[in-house]
Amino acid sequence: MGALPAVDTVTTNDVAPVIRVDHVSRWFGSVVAVSDVTFDVKPGITGLLGPNGAGKTTLLRMMTGLTGTSDGTVTVFEEPVRRNPPLYGRMGVMSEHETVYGFMKGRDFVRMMGRLRGVTDEAAVDKAINFVDLADAAHRPMGTYSRGMRQRMRLAGTLVHDPEILILDEPLNGADPRQRVHFQTLLRQLAAEGRTIVLSSHILEEVEQLADTVLLIVNGKLAASGDFRAIRVALDERPYHVLVVSDSPRELAAAVVKLESVDAVNVDPDGTLVVLSRNVRDLQIELPRLAQSAAISLRRVEPLDDSLESVFGYLVER
Amino acid sequence: MLPIFSLTLRQLSGKWRLTIMSVLALLPVAIAVLMVSFDGAPTVEEFEVAVLSSILAGAISPLVVLAIASAAFANEIEDKTLANLTLAPVPRWQIVLPKLLAAICVSGPFIAISAFLTGYFAYSADIRAALAVTGSAIIGVALYSSAFVWLGLKTTRAIGYGLLYIVLWEGFFSSFVMGVRLFSVRYYSIAWMHGFDERRFAGFDDFSFGLAVVASVVVFGGFSLLSIRRLRHMDVP
Amino acid sequence: MTGQPEVTKREGTVFDIGYQNYTGPREGRNRARLSVIKNGVRTSLGFGRGALAKVLPWLFIGVLVFIAIIMALVAGAADRLIGPEDAEQLNLPSHSDFYGIASIIFFVFAAVGAPELLCPDRREGVINLYLVRPLTGSDYAFSRWLAFFMVMVAVAWLPQFILLIGLIMGDPQPVDYLLDNWLDIPKFLAAGIPLAAYTTTLALLTAAFTTRRAYAAVFLVGLFVITTPFTTGLASEIGGTAGQWISMFNLSNIPVHVNDVIFGEPSVITREAPAAELSAWILVGWFLLWTLVPAGVLWVRYRRLTP
Repeated sequence: MGALPAVDTVTTNDVAPVIRVDHVSRWFGSVVAVSDVTFDVKPGITGLLGPNGAGKTTLLRMMTGLTGTSDGTVTVFEEPVRRNPPLYGRMGVMSEHETVYGFMKGRDFVRMMGRLRGVTDEAAVDKAINFVDLADAAHRPMGTYSRGMRQRMRLAGTLVHDPEILILDEPLNGADPRQRVHFQTLLRQLAAEGRTIVLSSHILEEVEQLADTVLLIVNGKLAASGDFRAIRVALDERPYHVLVVSDSPRELAAAVVKLESVDAVNVDPDGTLVVLSRNVRDLQIELPRLAQSAAISLRRVEPLDDSLESVFGYLVER
Repeated sequence: MLPIFSLTLRQLSGKWRLTIMSVLALLPVAIAVLMVSFDGAPTVEEFEVAVLSSILAGAISPLVVLAIASAAFANEIEDKTLANLTLAPVPRWQIVLPKLLAAICVSGPFIAISAFLTGYFAYSADIRAALAVTGSAIIGVALYSSAFVWLGLKTTRAIGYGLLYIVLWEGFFSSFVMGVRLFSVRYYSIAWMHGFDERRFAGFDDFSFGLAVVASVVVFGGFSLLSIRRLRHMDVP
Repeated sequence: MTGQPEVTKREGTVFDIGYQNYTGPREGRNRARLSVIKNGVRTSLGFGRGALAKVLPWLFIGVLVFIAIIMALVAGAADRLIGPEDAEQLNLPSHSDFYGIASIIFFVFAAVGAPELLCPDRREGVINLYLVRPLTGSDYAFSRWLAFFMVMVAVAWLPQFILLIGLIMGDPQPVDYLLDNWLDIPKFLAAGIPLAAYTTTLALLTAAFTTRRAYAAVFLVGLFVITTPFTTGLASEIGGTAGQWISMFNLSNIPVHVNDVIFGEPSVITREAPAAELSAWILVGWFLLWTLVPAGVLWVRYRRLTP
C-alpha cells in the first residue's frame, strides 16, 4: 500500500478529525437504533464496541452514507457523506455481510472493485491480493473459498484503491487465529501509514490490542470514548478490584479494611483477597507498608479490571 | 460503467434461467408455425390480436423481461452485495444505466428472435413484416425493462406486483378498457409495429404513432429517472 | 417479669435463578409439523411481519373478491332490468364459472406465494434448523404443502361465499333463491379443493427447484399463460380425439374440468374446449395425475434432505 503522510497519533488532539458525527440519531419507526451520538474520528485505529443490537452497524452505515440519519449530520473530510459519491473514492468500506459474487474469481472481483473506483493498474490489484496473502487462490471463483478467504478477498477489494479511510464492520468474522494475527498486523501497518481506520468487533481483546481509541455504544448511545484505560479512570464511581494473595489473608484483610483508600475487602474461599478501592495510587503505597509492618508476605497483587472487557462489562450493565 | 454492465450480464445469464426464457420465447413461434400449417388458418387480424398482441407483446415479452430486469437490482439487494456498487465514486446513473442495458441485452435477443421468427412464419417470409414485429418487440423489451428495473429497486416483491400488472393491466384491462391502452406498453408496441409497417394491425387507431413514440420516451426516461432517484435515496442493505 | 423473650422465627428462601433443565413434557414430531404448518400459513398471508408483507397476498384476495362482487352485481342488475326469468335465460356466470374465470389469479397467487415457503429457507440455510428438530424432509415438505393448501382453499372459498351472499341479496326473493340453489354451496366447496391442491402442488414443485423466488413464479405463470392459446389453437385445428387430448394439456383448465364434473356442466371458460367432451373419469384421472405425480416428485426432492 502507498504510504500516506505519517501522522503522530499520540498527540491526536492537534489533528483535525477525519470523520465527524454530530448529534446523530436514527430511528426506524418506533425503534431508536442510535440516539444523539457525537464523536470525532481521527487518523489511527478507532474501535467501535457494543453488545448485539447496540447500534454499531447502524452507526457505521451512517458513517459510510449507506443509510441516512434521522437527525444530526455525518461529515467526512468536512463534507456530508450521504449522497456524495465522489467522497467514496477516498473510503474503503467492508460491510458485515459476507456474501460475495460466488461465480466471480477473486482477482476479477478485486479488479472490478478497483475499476469502479478508477484504478486500472493491474499492479494495484496484485498488491491488494498479495497484501491479504491470497495470490494462490485469486484465480478461483469466490464461491469455492472458505469463509476466512472470502473475508480477506473482500478486504483486498476494499484496499485496492488505496483509500485514506477504512471502515470495517466485523472484519474478523470467520478468521482463524493465524489469520487474526495477520490481519492485526495489516491494520497496524495501514494505520502507521496515516490512514483512518474504524472497525467494529465483538472481540474485546483484539480491539484492546489494536485500537488507539475506543467508542463504546450501548443501547444506541455513546457510553464512553477514548483510551480505555482513561475511560476506566473516569469511572470513578466504581471502585477498582485488586487481587491480593498473601500468606495470612484474614490478618491482612483485617488490617487493609482500616485503610482510608479501601472501600471494602472480600475474602474468597481459597484465601485470596479482593480489595475494592477508589484510590489505587494510595493503595499501592499503603499496602506494602501494611504488609511489612504486620510481617505478612505478599505473593501477588494484581488489578482485576484493568482491561477493556471489564470496562465494557461495567458500562453495558450499569 | 463497463464493469457493472459485465457483472450484470453474468448475474442474469444463469444456465437454467436462459433455458426457461428460451422455452417461453419459442412458444409464439411454435403457435405461428402451427397456425399457418393447418387448413383453416386464422385471418391476419385474428393472428395479430391473438399472437402478436395477447401472447407476444402482452404475455411472453413482459414475463421474460420481468424475470430478468427485476433481478438486475433485486438479486443484489437480496444478496446484500449492492453496496459494492453504490460505494463506488460514480454518479448513480452510471450504476442504473449499465444495469438496465444489461437487462435489455439479456432478454432482448430472446424476444427479438421470437418476434422475428413469429413474423417471418406468419407473414410468409415477408422480411419487412418480420422486422416490424421485431423492432416493436425490442422497443417493448426496453420499456418493460425500464419499468421492472425500477420495480426491482422499489420492492422486494417485484415479481408479485409485476405479475399482477401483466395479468390485470396488460392482459385484461387494456383489452377491454380503451383508456387503459394509452398507458399500456403492450399497445405502445402495437403502435410501433403499425408505424414500422402500416399493414400490421391495419385497423389500429387507438392513438397515433407520434403519441406512441412520445409515450415510449416518457416511459423509458421516466422509469430510468425514477430508478436513479430511488438508488440515490434508498438505504442500501 | 421473668422468662425468655419470645423469638419470632422468620422464614426465607433463596431461589436458584440460574440455568434450569427443562423437565416439562416434550412434544414430538406432530408438534414440529404443526409449527411448520402454522408458520407457513402466517408467511403466506404476511402475518407476523410488517404491513408491507401483507399488501401483496391481500391484494390478490381483494382482486378475487372484486371479481365475485362484480359477478353478483351484474346478476342483480340483470334481475332488476329484465326480470328474473329473462335473466336466467342469459345464463350469466355464477358459482360454477367462478373458478374458471378467476383461475389465472389463483395461479399467479400460488406462483408468487408458494416460493416464499420454500425458497428463502434453502437460500438462507434456515432449512437446516428445521431438520435438526424431530422433523424429516418429508415432514417439512408436507407441512409446507398443507399450509399453502389451507390458504388456497380459504382464498378459493372466500370469494365464492361473497358471490353467494351477493346473489342472495340481489335476488328479488332471497330466501327462495337460497332454497333453490343451496346445492351450489357444497359444490363450490368441493370444487375449490382440487383447484387448491393442483395450484399448491405445481407451485411448490417449481419452487423446489430454485432458490430464487422470481424464476419459480415467472416460469409457472408463463407455463399457465402460454399453454392456453397453444393447446386451444392446436386442438381446434386438429380436432377429433387427438384434439381432445391436446386440449387436456391446457394446464390452466385441468382443475376447472374437475369443477365442471362437480357442477355437472361446463363453465364459460371450458365450454368450447374439446377436452370438455371427455368422460368425467378421464378428466378427474388427468387431474389426479397432474397433482399426484408432481407431489411425488416434490416428496422425493425433500425426502432425502438432512441437516
